This record gives sequence, structure tokens and C-alpha cells, in this order.
Amino acid sequence: MAAQQGDVDELFDVKNAYYIGSYQQCINEAQKVKPSTPEKEVERDTFLYRAYIAQRKYAVVMDDIKASSSPELQAVKMFAEYRSNEGKRDAIVAELDKKMAKSVDVANTTFLLMAASIYYHEMNTDAALRTLHQGESLECMAMTIQVLLSLDRVDLARKELKKMQERDEDATLTQLSMAWVNIAVGGEKLQDAYYIFQEMSDKFSPTLLLLNGQAACHMAQNKWEEAEGVLQEALDKDSSHPETLINLIVLTQHLGKAPEVTNRYLSQLKDAHRAHPFLRDYLAKENEFDRLAMQYAPTATV
Amino acid sequence: MLTKFETKSARVKGLSFHPKRPWILASLHNGVIQLWDYRMCTLIDKFDEHDGPVRGIDFHKQQPLFVSGGDDYKIKVWNYKLRRCLFTLLGHLDYIRTTFFHHEYPWILSASDDQTIRIWNWQSRTCVCVLTGHNHYVMCAQFHPSEDLVVSASLDQTVRVWDISGLRKKNLSPGAVETEVRGISGVDLFGASDAVVKHVLEGHDRGVNWAAFHPSMPLIVSGADDRQVKIWRMNESKAWELDTCRGHYNNVSCAVFHPRQELILSNSEDKSIRVWDMSKRTGVQTFRRDHDRFWVLGAHPNLNLFAAGHDSGMLVFKLERERPAYAVYGNMLYYVKDRFLRQLDFNSSKDTAVMQLRSGSKFPVFSMSYNPAENAVLLCTRATNLENSTYDLYSIPKESDSQNPDAPEGKRSSGLTAVWVARNRFAVLDRMHSLLIKNLKNEIVKKVQVPSCEEIFYAGTGSLLLRDADGVTLFDVQQKRSLATVKIAKVKYVVWSADTSHVALLAKHAIMICNRKLESLCNIHENIRVKSGAWDESGVFIYTTSNHIKYALTSGDHGIIRTLDLPIYVTRVRGNSVYCLDRECRPRVLTIDPTEYRFKLALVNRKYEEVLHMVRNAKLVGQSIIAYLQKKGYPEVALHFVKDEKTRFSLALECGNIEVALEAAKALDERGCWERLGEAALLQGHHQVVEMCYQRTKNFDKLTFLYLITGNLAKLRKMMKIAEIRKDMSGHYQGALYLGDVSERVRILKNCGQKSLAYLTAATHGMDEEAEALKETFDLEKETVPEVDPNAQLLQPPPPINPLDTNWPLLTVSKGFFEGAIAAKGKAGQMAADMDVEAPGGEGWGEDAELQLDEDGFMDAQDALGEEGVAKEEGGGWEVEEDLDLPPELELPGGAGGGPEDGFFVPPTKGMNPTQLWCNNSQLPVDHILAGSFETAMRLLHDQVGVVQFGPYKQLFMQTLSRGRTCFLGLPSLPCLRGNPQRNWKDCGAKQGLPAVGLRLSDLIARLQQCYQLTTAGRFEDAVERFRAILLSVPLLVVDNKQEIAEAQQLITICREYIVGLTMETERKKLPKETLDQQKRLCEMAAYFTHCSLQPVHMVLVLRTALNLFFKLKNFKTAAGFARRLLELGPKPEVAQQTRKILAACEKTLTDTHQLNYDPHNPFDLCAASYTPLYRGRPVEKCPLSGACYCPPYKGQVCRVTQATEIGKDVIGLRVSPLQFR
Repeated sequence: MAAQQGDVDELFDVKNAYYIGSYQQCINEAQKVKPSTPEKEVERDTFLYRAYIAQRKYAVVMDDIKASSSPELQAVKMFAEYRSNEGKRDAIVAELDKKMAKSVDVANTTFLLMAASIYYHEMNTDAALRTLHQGESLECMAMTIQVLLSLDRVDLARKELKKMQERDEDATLTQLSMAWVNIAVGGEKLQDAYYIFQEMSDKFSPTLLLLNGQAACHMAQNKWEEAEGVLQEALDKDSSHPETLINLIVLTQHLGKAPEVTNRYLSQLKDAHRAHPFLRDYLAKENEFDRLAMQYAPTATV
Repeated sequence: MLTKFETKSARVKGLSFHPKRPWILASLHNGVIQLWDYRMCTLIDKFDEHDGPVRGIDFHKQQPLFVSGGDDYKIKVWNYKLRRCLFTLLGHLDYIRTTFFHHEYPWILSASDDQTIRIWNWQSRTCVCVLTGHNHYVMCAQFHPSEDLVVSASLDQTVRVWDISGLRKKNLSPGAVETEVRGISGVDLFGASDAVVKHVLEGHDRGVNWAAFHPSMPLIVSGADDRQVKIWRMNESKAWELDTCRGHYNNVSCAVFHPRQELILSNSEDKSIRVWDMSKRTGVQTFRRDHDRFWVLGAHPNLNLFAAGHDSGMLVFKLERERPAYAVYGNMLYYVKDRFLRQLDFNSSKDTAVMQLRSGSKFPVFSMSYNPAENAVLLCTRATNLENSTYDLYSIPKESDSQNPDAPEGKRSSGLTAVWVARNRFAVLDRMHSLLIKNLKNEIVKKVQVPSCEEIFYAGTGSLLLRDADGVTLFDVQQKRSLATVKIAKVKYVVWSADTSHVALLAKHAIMICNRKLESLCNIHENIRVKSGAWDESGVFIYTTSNHIKYALTSGDHGIIRTLDLPIYVTRVRGNSVYCLDRECRPRVLTIDPTEYRFKLALVNRKYEEVLHMVRNAKLVGQSIIAYLQKKGYPEVALHFVKDEKTRFSLALECGNIEVALEAAKALDERGCWERLGEAALLQGHHQVVEMCYQRTKNFDKLTFLYLITGNLAKLRKMMKIAEIRKDMSGHYQGALYLGDVSERVRILKNCGQKSLAYLTAATHGMDEEAEALKETFDLEKETVPEVDPNAQLLQPPPPINPLDTNWPLLTVSKGFFEGAIAAKGKAGQMAADMDVEAPGGEGWGEDAELQLDEDGFMDAQDALGEEGVAKEEGGGWEVEEDLDLPPELELPGGAGGGPEDGFFVPPTKGMNPTQLWCNNSQLPVDHILAGSFETAMRLLHDQVGVVQFGPYKQLFMQTLSRGRTCFLGLPSLPCLRGNPQRNWKDCGAKQGLPAVGLRLSDLIARLQQCYQLTTAGRFEDAVERFRAILLSVPLLVVDNKQEIAEAQQLITICREYIVGLTMETERKKLPKETLDQQKRLCEMAAYFTHCSLQPVHMVLVLRTALNLFFKLKNFKTAAGFARRLLELGPKPEVAQQTRKILAACEKTLTDTHQLNYDPHNPFDLCAASYTPLYRGRPVEKCPLSGACYCPPYKGQVCRVTQATEIGKDVIGLRVSPLQFR
């Protein structure tokens, strides 16, 4: 808070749009804004390219960022390469491991974030957390919370959140992190989480990220009808958004819709996002089922 | 003190409020009496007949009268409607200081410098009493508001109370004759008994300028030149001084009681108005003017209004705001009334007190901000000295007793305004005009530097509107920066639309409507004060001024909806209803006619159907609407309103609608119209109309030319004939010329004496005969035959290739909605009627549909019965198999590899996932599936219902698993986070969670219907598939009570019966039927089928099949049995009739030809594998889930019904509820 106090963050719109998942707006804002210092310019570019990554436009990032670009942007490029090319992932991770083994420029928050993102994608939560631990930015903390939540360590996530709140309670990232933690805590906190997502939708724009957050809150409270409205809105915005589809798979069943409806969403998901973790899990479970089913057999055969 | 209205004039010596209308009379030192409307701020009238200053002035309470008294010794009674003085009462011998009407009797009371007080009867126009006793100028004399008393103040330093009951008895008791009071001499004689001094109040040290009674208590207030205001009390026998208010430092001119509060108001030559607390005798407020001494005060009898006259005019004011503090959220209105926070539900009109407010502030609540998420309110209280303003933060109690609501402890802090900026944050503008953000505990979270700011308003989450001297700024609290600014002076209130897409900024005399980004959309100026406003559902802003309800569209259109008697504060608008609070804080609902603004809105939004509907159905006629439409460029819409043909005609021309214009022109049939229409039609190439216009206007030249250019030779010839008849030579000739009719031309020329021309024409055109004839007529002596030009060429008009019959082709412009609508006007009426006729039909359908639902869809089934027999024989679609996606093998992603350990950071171990808890907390298989623990789930299903073959369960498992966890996005580009919906989320805490199931018994039961329909349709394979899916799903249910457990079991039974029956039937159809034995087997199976427990509709079908087969087999006795069972079910008449015939046939020979393994009278279970009867008492093995029966040899095999469970397995039993584990 001390750092922000008084002066206005000129990149607020850019960052904010990025965090709430309004990527195109982030790109637009980034192209509009005129940073006052070269540092800010680099920061703006990192967000610009990260927004492209979030839109899966990896080529833009990889083509635009040259070898001469700043180390921050190099980190972004590394992440883009990791995301774009499944085959090169192992190599990238190996290289990253090497880099991490040496001393790391802790001031390069973007590098830390990108490295942690790669580790997180690799399900190497230990390495992700260790990397994030070196950073001090709010985003590092937010990512730490996300990793902790994925490890079901709500207790630690809350501690981290408290630190964030001490830093800047009203920051978008703090608010979002609070919502994630609240969803994990459950009970009465779910409504709080919902309000956070809803407030941001009202204030900025209802992005897929915020809408799915709202839907998750609704569903956690067994408010299926309300969730349907929100998810329908999300589906209207993007009919092949994987998280929306997954939530719809959950929702349609809870609403008692015919199994065909659910299967339709599942097929859509399989079509468009074969590599999505949800499907990876799903297929693994199918295999597990087959394996387990073999352990049973009738005593007598016909 | 709030000044509502000010005037500039000569010194104001007298004031009087009208009791009902917003009027005030001011009598001036220059002899003029002014009548003002203080709400509209206009001078209504002036009365200038007095000579010299007018000091006394008073409205009559009921009649359109007022009385005035001046320094010209005259009392004048005026009628303001007639706008003249009715009469003048003469008698006083010096300046008249005050004049007052009695509230009941036809009396006027006057006080004069001649040391007398007089009572006049204004009906008889005589003086009825003279009150003498004061020995100096009498400065003021007033009637008591209810009793027979008069109070007077005099420069003799006394205040006197007079008893005038004698006068009343004498003059006004029934039967009394009006006393003759002739001059002052008579009064001297009798006056003493009519009016007697009751009390003489001595205490002032100098002359007393004013004295007045309290409206209800026995109190008198007086103001004197000793600079004191004194309060006196009286009873029947005496009167005494109660208190003195000291503070004025010059002569007190006037002092009055506040009509409703414990306050006294006084004003003085020290240029101040002071408000005193009656009980504490202390000054509460002081209002000073710089240069003007005050002379008089007036109080409104009913409203919270006062007026004060001074050296250069007067002012109308009130002591405090009357605006109730309120906030609207959804259907709820929250408002403050009498120290209570009340809640009004707009829908149910239920009005309850939800909370008592902490007392302690003498000022009313100024404004309110409500937070729906936390159910908390901020109430701001504004003190006279702004710096002392405070706000209270209350959390509204959840439950409250309206009669005696709780008084929760609020949190009070100083601050000008406090409004919510987020669910758990509010902003406070403190007295240093800086902005504080506080949390729910009223602790400062941060301080925000803002540009100069006098007031803050709500502006959606995280934003505020900041008002400075000449504008409003949209400020983002989080980013601490201004987003937009708009210039508008002194905004007082801000009203957001429900979706916060628009905001109305209300200033004293102006409204500005802006969008979310604070871009000004329109500005509206009002001459009268703007009071309040609310957005209606359609995005129209409805607002009130002091005397109107008005509307404003975001486009800037605005207008009056209705007038108001008293100001109201709009809280919500919905449809025709305006919900509001009045000044007494009573919620009210006013009805308005929204047609006008809806109409305009529809126009702006181009919702023309709506517009047309309104045009046709609403009474929306009027010049203003037509003018409006014309001005706004919708002449075609205006066309719909216009009945007046003339206007209609010009409107039609304006929008180029020739048809309508023609219609109107026909009706009008005026030359001017036809001409204008002709011009317009010509421009459009509408030459048929042009022709008609020319015909009507008898414009032959133009008509002829029109025929020429359209190539209409026949008509052109006709025109020529007409010209001939009309003796229009040149027209005639012209026609001939156009037609190329030479002989006609020659004839014309000849007839009009142009012989040479005629000759030449004839000769040139080679009409030799004619030429010769003409040549002979020449008198060669006098005339010369002209030379024929050898080079002459024939002047023939080119003949038209095609006569133009149709109008000129027009570009196909898509017809405007309204033009089309006009054309379709007649038809539309019919259509509407049709629809009306159809409507009841629709309802009838609805009823039918309901009926079907009630009978579980069997109506349908019965209807289809006839055909079904056939369909059934054919066996229906067979090929459909459940297609299972067999996904390609995928390897699990490699587990997380542990990196090298850092010295100082120890990564946390994995925590307990809620799904693991689910497994621990439940013994129900579905909970384990949802948790993803297939292994345990399978074990449970195996142990509970004996599932040994999980193939059929795969789909169910995968589906169930996929609904167990939701997902939401954390940071961009990272894998999503997962949510775990739990059915007991409200009270499970961290450890007791159980997953939300997502499979309901009711849904499964509903799915039965589909199966029944498939059965009826003869699609047995499909039906069996679905029945089985339901059956297999039952163990995956979670239900709450015993009844539901029983229902679940019943559901299994139903499915089992159908599955057994339908599989057997399918099997039967595949069997050969060549030999007798084979036929016997077929009959047996058909007979067994009738013993499955089926729905009646299906049983009818089954019985008919069996009946037919047995009849054919000549087993008449059994057939008869089936026939009787069939008839018992009450089939459709045709079926019943046929059955009866068969039954009759059977009964002739009541024997069975063949011996079958079927005994209808001996109860049996059916083996679901071999389809043989298992009569009671025989050993039987059952399926642990479906309960299907089998012959013992089948034990250990997979159940034919479920295809998943093992026959005869020893199990715990179906478990679908936690109840079953207690």
C-alpha cells in the first residue's frame, strides 16, 4: 500500500483487465496507455504479451519478443513457448531447472511468475511455491494462494491472504484471492466470494473468469437455477470456453436435465480442449474404472 | 434555516399565508399589497389602493377574501378572484397596525394608533365593538384560535387579554338580532359589557410590538422594544409572566409560536430572526441579514413554512428539511420515520419497523445509504454547523418485532456524508473534506486524497461521485483517480438506474442525465425546484418538482405527467404506479398515465409495433403530440393521429404518402389540394394520380401534355375534342399537333380563318384535294396564294412505342413500418379479432395438457392404441445399442517431482481434499463416486447390492464423477481451481462435508414416463435400456426419509417388472411358431406377460395380445379369463366392444383345447432367465438389487434384469440414505 499511496498506478487499467480475465481489453488498454518510464513500458509489455498468451495467441508473443528484449519479456516468451509446444515442454522445464539452480534475479518478478506458472502446469507445486517464495509482489502472493489451494492447504492460503490484505486489501488481486479462499472455506463465506465476483462484474465487465467464479459460488451453495443464468451468460460470450463447459456438465446434471444434454457439453469439451486437465483426469478415471471392474466377476458364468 | 423564496420590494410590514394555496400576501410600506406564489416564485397580483403604508393583512380561511389596514385609516376587504376591493371600513382615527379575520365569525379585528381595537362585521360592514383601554398606540391585536379571547399589545408597555364572549352571545347566539352600533357613542354605552379586559400583562419595560396566542396551550408570546421576548401563561382567573428570552439587541418586531413544535420565532430591528426553544428558553438558531431590519413574521397554519418581512422585501423559509431519508434496494424501501428505520416491501405493501435508532441528535437523519450484502445502513445527520455532522453505522437486525423493534448499538463518528463503496467498505467525507475509506468495524482502512469536494454520492462499487463547486467527478476509490467530470452546479441528489447504466444528477433547478461514464446525455432546466426522482423499468427517469411529476427520456425529451398538491419524494416507479414518501413520511402510491412517455420512448427506440399499438389503443390525440411528431421527424406516425383531413393531407405530403394524400384530397376536394397533390405525385412519377389531379383542377393544358408524354393517344384525342367543345382554338390546335392529325389541323386553321396557313399545311402534307379546295376559296384579287416551300418537312410527332399505363417504376424502398401499417389497417383489425377468438382455444389446449400430466401421460398412450398393435407385431426398432465412447488410452501425467530442498523454505505437504472427507463421512456409493474413489464405490455396490459386473455402471460412474467438482479460474493462464459443491454446505464445517448429489428421486421417477411412452410405442429394446438405466441409478441416490427409501425400492420393482416382461416379449417374438409346441410356448409366454405388474394402459395391450393368441389356439376358457380381465380395465369403447364379442364367442365353448404350463389361479413368480413360472413354495433365487426371481440353477450368474448383479448373492441390501446406517 505504501508504494501505491498517493500516486496513481498508470497501468491500473491494463493490469486490472488482465486479472479479471478481460484480455482483449487488457491488450487495448496496453496499446493506449503511454507509460512514463521505460520500466513501466516493460511492465506494460509483459501484461500485453501475457494477455496474448491467455488468449492462446502464442505466436504473436514468440514472434514479437526478440532476443534483445528485456529479461522480463524473455520470461514471458519462455512461458509462451512452453504453452504452445507440447513437445518442447520437457526441454524448457529442464532449462528452467538449471536456471533456478543458479542464483535468480529476485527483482525480476515476471520471471518468477512465469517460472512458477510452468512448474504449476507441470504439477510441480513444490518448485512453484519455492519460486514464488522469492518474489514479493501481490501477484506472487496470489499465485502462492492458488497453488496452496490446489494442494488443499486452505490454512496456509488464509495466512498468505492475510499478508496480502495487509499490503493492500482493496487491490483486485487481493479481492480475487479472497474469493478463491472463501470458496475453499465454504459455508457462509461462499456468499462473500460471490459478492466479490459480482461486484467486479458490475464494476468492470462480466468476464468469463468472473462469471465462472459466480457460478462456482452458486453451485457450491446448491443454487443451481441461479448458476444456470450466470453460465448461460458465459456460454453466450464464448461457446467453447472449457471451464464454462465443465461447469455446465456439472450443472445440467444437478438440474436433472437429460443425460444427452450433459454429454453434448462433454463432447464439445473433448472436441476443443483435449489437453484440458479435466479431460486428462476424466480419461484416467475411465481407465481406472476398467481396471477396477476387472476385479469383479460373477461366481457362475452362463 | 432553509430559504425557499425571497422577494425584493419596499419595506414589508405585513404578511399572510394562504391556508391552502402556495400563496402569500405581503403588504408594503409604499401602499402596495403583493400576492405571491412562493412555489412558482411569481408575482400573481398587485393591489394598490391604499394611500401610504399598509401594515395589516390577512387571508380569510375559506372565502376568496383578504383584509388590509393602512396608514390611511382605512380597512379594506378585497376579493382576490375578482381582483378588486369589495368595500372599505371607516372608523379608525389613526394608523391601522393589524387587521385579522375571525376563524369562524364574520368578524375583522383591527388595532390602531387611535388606542382602540375594533371588531367589525364584514357581512353587515359595520363596526360591532370597540375595545378601549390601552393608553398608547395598539400595535397588534389577534383573536384566540379557538376561544372567545383577544390578545393585544400596545406601546403602553402592556399586553391585554380581552374576553369577547359577551359580544359573541349578543351577536351570534341563535335569535339574536344584530346589534346596532351607531358610531362610537353607542359603543361607549354598551361596549364595556361586550368585550372586557380579562388580564393585563405587565412586564415589558418598553412598548410592546406584538403578542400572539399559542395555537393550543394557554400561552402568549410577546415581543417588545425592551428587546425581550416574553412568554406568558394564563388561566381562567389570572395571567403571569413565565419566561423571558433575551438575545435581541434591538426592538423586537414580532414573535410567534411554532405551530407544531416547542419553538418560538422572533425577529427584530437588529436584523436577525431568532428561534428559541420554549422549554429551555435558549436560542436555537439565529439568522441574520446584513442590512435589513425585520418587521413582521408569519407562520403557515398547516405547513412547515414561515415568512419574514424586512426593509427590502421578504423571505419564505422553513426551519428544517422535510425530506425523509430513504434508500431503495430491489423491492424494499428503507426509510426513517420517528426515530425508527422502517422497511416497506413494494410488492406486498408490508411496512414494518425494523430497527430503533439511537437517539441523541436533535437533527433529523439527512441521508441514508443501504448495503444489501451486509444488511447494514449508514445514516448521516447534518448539523447546523456542518462540522458537527455525524453518521451512524447500524447493522439491521435479522429478525425484528415491528411493534417493538430492537435498538441495536450503532457506531457513530463525525463526518459529513457516508456512503457504501463496496460490500464491506464505505467512504466518509470528513469535516476536513478529505475522504476516508472505512470497514464494517468503522475503522479507517485508508485515506484518499481527493480533489476539492463538498459532497459525495454513491456511484456503484468502488466509485464515488464527488461534488465540487461547479461540477461532479466520477472518482475511482481503488485507483484513487478521477475518471470523468461533468459540469453541473450544486448537485443535490444522485439517482442511479437499476442497472447503473444511467445516472440522473439533480440540482436545485436542473437535471442532468449521464451514462455510466458520466458523459452528459441531456440537460433539463426547471423553473421550479426539482425534488426527487427514480428510474422506471424501461429506462425513463421519472422525477418530481414541487408541483409536478415529470418524465425525462435519456434523449432529453421531457414533459409533465401530472400535477401535485404537495411535494413528494419518489422512491420507485413501476408501470403506472409511482411509489413515494410524502412530507409526513407516509409511503404512498400514486397512479400516473405513462402513455405519453412510453410512446416517446418507443419512438426513440424504434419500437414501432408498440407505437402503433399505442396509437390505436391509447387516447393519445392532441395537437401537442402531432406537433411533437412532426417536429421530431415522424410525420408518418403523426398521420395516425390526425382526424382532421387538412392536416392529414399536409402530413401525408410531407412524408410522401401519395395514397393517403389522395384519400384526404378526395375528402377535401379543394383546388389547392389537388394542385399540391398533383405536384407531389408528378415528382414521384405517379402519373395516374397526376392525371386525376389535373382532371379535378380542370387543368387541360397540363393534362394534354401529360397524355402526350405518357403516349396515351386515345385520351389525347379526347382532350382535343374537349378543347374543340370548349372552343379553345389554340388548345385544339395544339392537340392536333401533338396527335399529328393534319386534316384536323387544316380544319382548325380553316375554321379560324387562317386560310393561308390551312392551305400551306394541306399542301405541304400532300393533301392535294384539300389544298385544291382551299385554293379555290382564295379571292385571288385580294389575296395571294402562298408559296409552298418545296423543302418543307413533315412535322409529325414520333408515335409512342408503348403507351405508359403504369406509374413510373419506383425503387423498391422497404416500406416504413407505419406506411405498411396504414395500408394494413383494415386487415389488422380482423386479425386481432381472430386472435381473440383463438385465445380461448389456447386455454382449452392448456387444460388438455394438464389433464395429460395428471394421468401420467396415459391419455396419449390410449389415443395411440389402435396403431400400436401393428407396431408391436413388427417389433419396433431393434438396432439401437448404447454406444459407449471408448477413449484412447492416455498416460497419467507424471507425478510432481520433488526439487532440491531449499534451506529456508519448506514446501507444504498436500492437505486434506474435501473429496477425501466425503469418503470418510459416507457409506453411500454415490458419495464415493463423486469423490472419485471408484475403488471404494465399487466395493460398496458389490457389498450392498451385489454388483459383480460393472460394465453397465461405467457411464453412470463417469457422469456422476463429472458433476462432483466445479471449476473456476484463478490467475490467467494457470490451470483452474476446483470447487466442491456440498449438499450440507451450510452447516458442515470443515470436516463434515458431503457432496451435492445431483441425482434426485423425483427426476428418476419423471424419467419413467419416457420409458412408458417407449413401451406404448412398442420400442421395447429402447424401453428396457432406459428402465435398466433407471434401475441401476437407484443405488446412486441419496434420500432423506423413510418414505423416499420406500419409493426408491418401489421404483426398482416397477423397472424390474417392465424389464422382465418386455425382454420376455422381445424373446417371444424371436421364437419360431411353426409347430404346435412352438405355438403353445408362445402362448404361455404371452400369458406370463399378463402377470407382470404393468400400468393399465400397457396391461390392456398385453391382455389383448394374449387374448388373441389364446383365441386362435382355441383355448377359449383361458381366453375368456383374459377377456374379463381386459374388460375390468375399462379399455376404449371399440376395444371393449370387440373384446365382448370375443368373450361371447369364448363362452359358447368354455374349454381349453390344449394343455399349457399356465395356471392363472395359482400365484407364481416368473423366472427372468428361463421365463417359466415358479409357483409358490418352489425354491427360488433372487437378484439382490432388482429382486427378480430365478430358478435355482441360475444362482451365481449375472442377473438378466440388471446385467450387473449376481443372482442369489448374499448382500447387505440397498443403502440410499444415511438413515439406514443408524
